Amino acid sequence: MGVPDTGMSQRLVNWARAKSPWITVYNSGACNACDIEIIACLMPRFDVERFGILVKGSPRHADILIVTGHVTLKQASRLRRVWEQMPEPKYVIAMGACGASGGVFHGLYHMVESVDCVVPVDVYVAGCPPRPDEIINAVVTCLNLLEEDAAHGGKEWRQKKPATGVDAEGKSCTVVS
Amino acid sequence: MTRPVTVETIAERMKEFGTVEQVRKNRIRIRTVPDKIHDAITTAQAMLGFDRLITISTVDNGETLELLYHLIGSHRIIISLSLDLPRDKPVTPTVSDLLPPAGIYERQIHDLFGITFEGNPNMKKIILNEGWPENEYPLRKDWKPNAGVFYGGIKVERM
Amino acid sequence: MPEVVVSIGPQHPALKEPVNFKIVADGEKIVRLELDLSYNHRGIEKAAEQRNFIRVLPLLERVCGICSHSHATVFSKGIEEIMGLEIPPRAQYIRTIIAELERMHSHLLWLGVAAHVIGFNTLFMWTWRDREAVQDTLEEMSGNRVHYGMNEIGGVRRDLTPAQVEAALERLPALEERIKKYVEMVNSEETMLIRFRDVGKMSREEALKYGAVGPTARASGVDYDVRRDDPYLAYAEVPWNVITDTHGDVYGRTRVRVGELWESTQIVRYCLENLPAGPIRVDAPKNAPKGEILSRYEAPRGELAHFIRTNGTDKVERVDIRTPTLANWTSVAVCLVNQNIADIPVIVAAIDPCLSCTSRMTVVNRVDKEGR
Repeated sequence: MGVPDTGMSQRLVNWARAKSPWITVYNSGACNACDIEIIACLMPRFDVERFGILVKGSPRHADILIVTGHVTLKQASRLRRVWEQMPEPKYVIAMGACGASGGVFHGLYHMVESVDCVVPVDVYVAGCPPRPDEIINAVVTCLNLLEEDAAHGGKEWRQKKPATGVDAEGKSCTVVS
Repeated sequence: MTRPVTVETIAERMKEFGTVEQVRKNRIRIRTVPDKIHDAITTAQAMLGFDRLITISTVDNGETLELLYHLIGSHRIIISLSLDLPRDKPVTPTVSDLLPPAGIYERQIHDLFGITFEGNPNMKKIILNEGWPENEYPLRKDWKPNAGVFYGGIKVERM
Repeated sequence: MPEVVVSIGPQHPALKEPVNFKIVADGEKIVRLELDLSYNHRGIEKAAEQRNFIRVLPLLERVCGICSHSHATVFSKGIEEIMGLEIPPRAQYIRTIIAELERMHSHLLWLGVAAHVIGFNTLFMWTWRDREAVQDTLEEMSGNRVHYGMNEIGGVRRDLTPAQVEAALERLPALEERIKKYVEMVNSEETMLIRFRDVGKMSREEALKYGAVGPTARASGVDYDVRRDDPYLAYAEVPWNVITDTHGDVYGRTRVRVGELWESTQIVRYCLENLPAGPIRVDAPKNAPKGEILSRYEAPRGELAHFIRTNGTDKVERVDIRTPTLANWTSVAVCLVNQNIADIPVIVAAIDPCLSCTSRMTVVNRVDKEGR
């Protein structure tokens, strides 16, 4: 890593990945609002499949993981495992106010403080829930990141240190990946 | 049943199980004791046409934990049978043999309030996260998250 | 043949929400199952005790993203009754309109998901396209597609302008046309009849015994509907019918839901056309007097009950939420016994499960069904 692979086959893979990202959605304890807005994205009105964005059930096929909502204690280890199953390079979009900070659920007893305590997050989407067009925008933003990362040969250029967050007791924590 | 069931007939019939009080035009509240709850529900089911359990509510009253069984029947009148259980030893017989849906409610109450339902065949804890410590009942008034206790989720490495 | 345990979930392509089934199967037949629904437990009830009435409404709205208006309405309805507030008729009508629009979007969503699980994706796309018309109306009225935030203690927060009413009425004929089409499809479309008939059958006695609520119960001939039994909002003034069915299977539940879709359009139409003039809210006191209430509401999925106790302050002493999905899980476990493994998604989808509702207080149920 560090030096971009500029071989012909690698450039083809990068191109294909950016033109048709496959997405998996993980409901880590959301209120369903984000999930139904994601399904609404797939429907004739917004129809993300015309951009080549495909929602897959299995994390092993996915390039981008969309985490809807905050993470409950029970889901934390499961979310981590789903993220570990994804092939590199993998990107995470944390959806909604809950994904960023917990939203209205901030500080409840059965929750991990935020998504980035469990998995490193690349893109946050604001809103409760975000509108489908904002979700599409987030995926496009993620694709730009993906292209830039491919040009830099990895994610390190924009990550000075590992993703950090704050845990339940207010101390900062780091995710060891 | 020969005559229609009204609030008055229900109040009359249920008097033997405790103090009866009409709290709303269609809701009667009966304060009873754990020993009589089985009989009270059997009577309500057999004689008064109460065929459905709406829910079992729980309230933490400070010294006692209060259980309320809300039942409804085809006459659309609700009875709430209330029980007061001592905080240090909250035990009551299960009603899941009479009302199968009560099984669910009893399990969640057991996890969140620590009330034991004697005779419920499946009382093991699964409601909260698997790593949740024993004897911590989050919905009790005096419960607060303890900084030294690991409640589950993932362990994070401190910086 | 030895019994095999099949574990499905929490992350599974056939499931839209995190739930875990451990199915004990004998060949293709289900012997019994264990459900684990606790993945979404957040602890809302504890938090509700610590926030005042103004702050608790947005929290309760987010118990569930699909029936958000239901949770907010049932709570404000209960608090208003404790306070002895009389809500202006215009506010009642606006709440009813939002409630019925929510029921429409929820049932259309359900019809799509049910079609999707039997592989009938055409209908999935159709219903979700039509649902967008409902979403647009809701967005125009409330400003948001999913969490409307229309309620406050004492009335509603936003008034309907004549232009909004007109726009909503303009969208209704097209929707009614589509819903008529769905009613026709449910009764004649071969794909749906084959997969829905005699699947997940539940008799009237079983529905009562296992405490099924809402469309699941009404499809088995159990005639419970809070909107009629204990009228709230404007339901006592609006002409409408309770839809019941006697089939008791997934087909019956589909018929009940499309029937309710039609009723909802008529309720919305009536309310929009007869919207009373006047204020949309009354001033509510900051504190509620001591009291307790069992507030009931017919959410899209069935009867929703909030048991609320107040203690004379601006916070609740306790709010105990019983969601319709929670009440339906026992019956679903009964339905599934002796069915094919392949029918699990259909039967589970047929109660329209809403897991974030259910596990606001997490529940796990294990039914050891005596052999049938």
